[in-house]
Amino acid sequence: MRDLAKARNIGISAHIDSGKTTLTERILFYTQRIHAIHEVRGKDGVGATMDSMELERERGITIASAATFCDWKDYTINIIDTPGHVDFTIEVERALRVLDGAILVLCSVGGVQSQSITVNRQMTRYRVPRMAFINKCDRTGANPDRVTQQLRDKLNLNAVPLQVPIGLESDLAGVVDLVSMKALYFEGDQGEIIREAEIPDNLSEEVATKREALLDAASMFSDELMEAILEGEPNEEMIRAAIRKGTLARELTPVLVGSAYKNKGIQPLLDAVTYYLPNPQEVTNYALDLNNEEAEFRVTNDPKDPLIALAFKLEDGRYGQLTYLRTYQGTMRKGDSIVNIRTGKKIKVGRLVRMHADQMEDIEETGAGDIVALFGVDCASGDTFTDGSVNYSMSSMHVPAPVISLAIRPVDNKAQGNMSKALNRFTKEDPTFKTFVDTETNETIISGMGELHLEVYIERMKREYKAEVEVGAPQVAYRETVTQKAEFNYTHKKQTGGSGQFGRVAGYLEPLEEGEYEFVDKIVGGVIPREFISSCDKGFQKAMAKGSLVGAPITGIRCVINDGSSHAVDSSDVAFQQAALGAFRDGYLKAKPVIMEPIMKVAVEGPTEFQGGIMGSLNQRRGMIIGTTEEEDYTVVEAEVPLSEMFGYSTDLRSLTQGKAEFTMEFAAYRPVPKSVAEELVAKAKKEKEQQDKK
Amino acid sequence: MLKQELIAKNPIRHLKAGSEGQARAQMGLVMARAGLGKTAMLVQIALDSLLNGKQVIHVSIGQSLEKTRIWYDDIFKDIVEGCKLASPYEIYDEIMRNRMIMTFKESSFSRARLEERLNDLVYQNLIRPGCMVVDGYDFTVVDHQTLQDLGEMARAMDLEVWFSAVSHQEDEEAKGGGVPAPCHEVADLFDTVVLLQPAAGSECIDLNILKDTTGKAGDRVLQLDPITFMVKEGC
Repeated sequence: MRDLAKARNIGISAHIDSGKTTLTERILFYTQRIHAIHEVRGKDGVGATMDSMELERERGITIASAATFCDWKDYTINIIDTPGHVDFTIEVERALRVLDGAILVLCSVGGVQSQSITVNRQMTRYRVPRMAFINKCDRTGANPDRVTQQLRDKLNLNAVPLQVPIGLESDLAGVVDLVSMKALYFEGDQGEIIREAEIPDNLSEEVATKREALLDAASMFSDELMEAILEGEPNEEMIRAAIRKGTLARELTPVLVGSAYKNKGIQPLLDAVTYYLPNPQEVTNYALDLNNEEAEFRVTNDPKDPLIALAFKLEDGRYGQLTYLRTYQGTMRKGDSIVNIRTGKKIKVGRLVRMHADQMEDIEETGAGDIVALFGVDCASGDTFTDGSVNYSMSSMHVPAPVISLAIRPVDNKAQGNMSKALNRFTKEDPTFKTFVDTETNETIISGMGELHLEVYIERMKREYKAEVEVGAPQVAYRETVTQKAEFNYTHKKQTGGSGQFGRVAGYLEPLEEGEYEFVDKIVGGVIPREFISSCDKGFQKAMAKGSLVGAPITGIRCVINDGSSHAVDSSDVAFQQAALGAFRDGYLKAKPVIMEPIMKVAVEGPTEFQGGIMGSLNQRRGMIIGTTEEEDYTVVEAEVPLSEMFGYSTDLRSLTQGKAEFTMEFAAYRPVPKSVAEELVAKAKKEKEQQDKK
Repeated sequence: MLKQELIAKNPIRHLKAGSEGQARAQMGLVMARAGLGKTAMLVQIALDSLLNGKQVIHVSIGQSLEKTRIWYDDIFKDIVEGCKLASPYEIYDEIMRNRMIMTFKESSFSRARLEERLNDLVYQNLIRPGCMVVDGYDFTVVDHQTLQDLGEMARAMDLEVWFSAVSHQEDEEAKGGGVPAPCHEVADLFDTVVLLQPAAGSECIDLNILKDTTGKAGDRVLQLDPITFMVKEGC
């Protein structure tokens, strides 16, 4: 079992092209997990080890995060390689949940770019302690001091350099460690030999100033260090302990420098991970108690307590289905039975492995705070597993209903098979992604939480599953509802051959404030016989599947029946279902039906200079601006905007703000569409129906 | 109850210049010690304007957007419960369309910045506010000129502006019936100054009208309910 105090679960997160994957590759090399170094855009055609998806190799970016295990000195480190591209932030957020600490990688030339801002904000939201690594110090124009200042100004971090680079650009030779006050040079073919030396004379002044600044910053977190500084020279342990305290409290961000590509500064970075980033016990994680209205429960990290583990990533590779799990408390052994809290299904732990990007190592058991992979487990991403004795979930059980859909059509037979394989996989990976076949048009419909969300899956379908598909225009999931009470009285009568059909249903329907549908039986004196009451219920529900305005599902209605009549011979289940269906349609149009559309909560973040433009763009899209939040030169505009108006917004926003603003959106509520829009929708639906009828 | 009735019955009415629905440019100040209901009071002033069909900008310094939003939700709920308003959700949706919350970090707020924002909003025709409430403005560092500039800007925009300010018990006592620190030096710029103080011998909070150039309040006794922070006429 891992010694928790010597375990680290870290993420490496950064803007695209700041060299994160190269850095990970070097870390794995120095921790002897891999035996050769491949470049991201490798001439050797192998590519870096962490980029396991083909698409990533081709583009030189990382999309899905793989978890990799390695040893450094007597520490064990799990590295979650998090995506750096703006379009895949869902994956980033998912990875951040299971991390205890992170390295924020920055390019010494590019500095803090918009994606670093987003990632940093996500890390703040998930309370992830972090340190910064200023990479690419060998590049022309490298300026780590400027980047450090940006960390302070743009990210609001208390960034404190722990190192001074020895030379910059092509002269980069090594680093000076400001804690041990030694110069470190990286020698050998791949920088594997570290030579300690005295600090070069030309740097002594800069080193002295920065060391003082470091001690100043660190002493804020340790009285002991403060005293030691006053009395003379503090020792290394004392300084490290203080930096660690500040980092864990997320009030200090240690800054390290180097160049992964030139093999400089990687080993000290690994040391820093062990010195300053938290072990699993030092991080507070909460589970939700499902027996107690999802109240928060602080997980114990104790291997003796009941098991709680979160499946955070599924992968379908050459080994079959792999499920990545993070254990929060308890112990899981090979052969144990564990329970999936979402489905209630019990499964047996077959093979338990530690993953190293594409290779694996079998293990017998895993304890709290560890990240492992399981084989052949049927589950979805975000599922929680326990030993069955507790009913906790690491993520909320509430899954929002999809708000947007797309019709997809495979281009040929081969694509057809691959497409269904891909869809099957994606629905497991992501509970907000749904798929079904529309019985009327025979098209496969995929639905999810936004345009981008679906685009990512279509792209993955092509890349990973070779399923080439044609994509229809995105459709918003409208709904219909009524706004007032209306009465109905409908007789269904049929007398053509054989036994006839007869049923009369009367009552009223009215808006339901909460819930989707309610059926109330107020029949007295048996005017509708008992056995046909449920037929009425069925009939109403059938009618609600498709509203008469735009054919969208009807929700939020209470149907009350209080009168009716039957016939001794001709009344039947079918007859009353038909009667109820007719009655509903009768009442529905009188109850002033309206079309409802999904409204998204949109947050646009960007430099303050663009605030006006951003607000204008949201306003144009029928958005209701809730407000703005200004922090220094950065502004967040929050608004509620109809989803149907958000198509193509990312492109517009990019051109409006020179690519400096980003937006996130999530479903907020269904609201009635304005009258003018409703008229358009009804006309469009009518036209489509006519066309279908012609066919 | 109908919306019109609600507007007419709102005791906040007595603090505002002009007749119902026609309030004119005015500078108001609500002072209180921490936790006595300054924000609640400002939100009620804003809601009154919103119900009157005016657009409102709520400037919140140091508080999050979400928190400010919740204040509105809560107070509106209390209003609805208190008077059995007909079709409350429609009214709520409508008034929320006319409200914009602007939150600033303490360090990033300045008069110039606020003015720039307001001009931008009006220029783009995004909102044309009739009322602005400013919550969390630090009066300990403000100078007379800055506030005067703000007042002139409000007048130019035909805007009713209400501020909140934190006072301290010792300052209140030292000033007797006058405007306490930190606002005593800028009191001349306000048309109305209200000081919230715990009422003697009851749980309620008194609305002491320290200054009222509009002459609307008269001898009325206004108080805040200690639980809901709703303004009412003497309990």
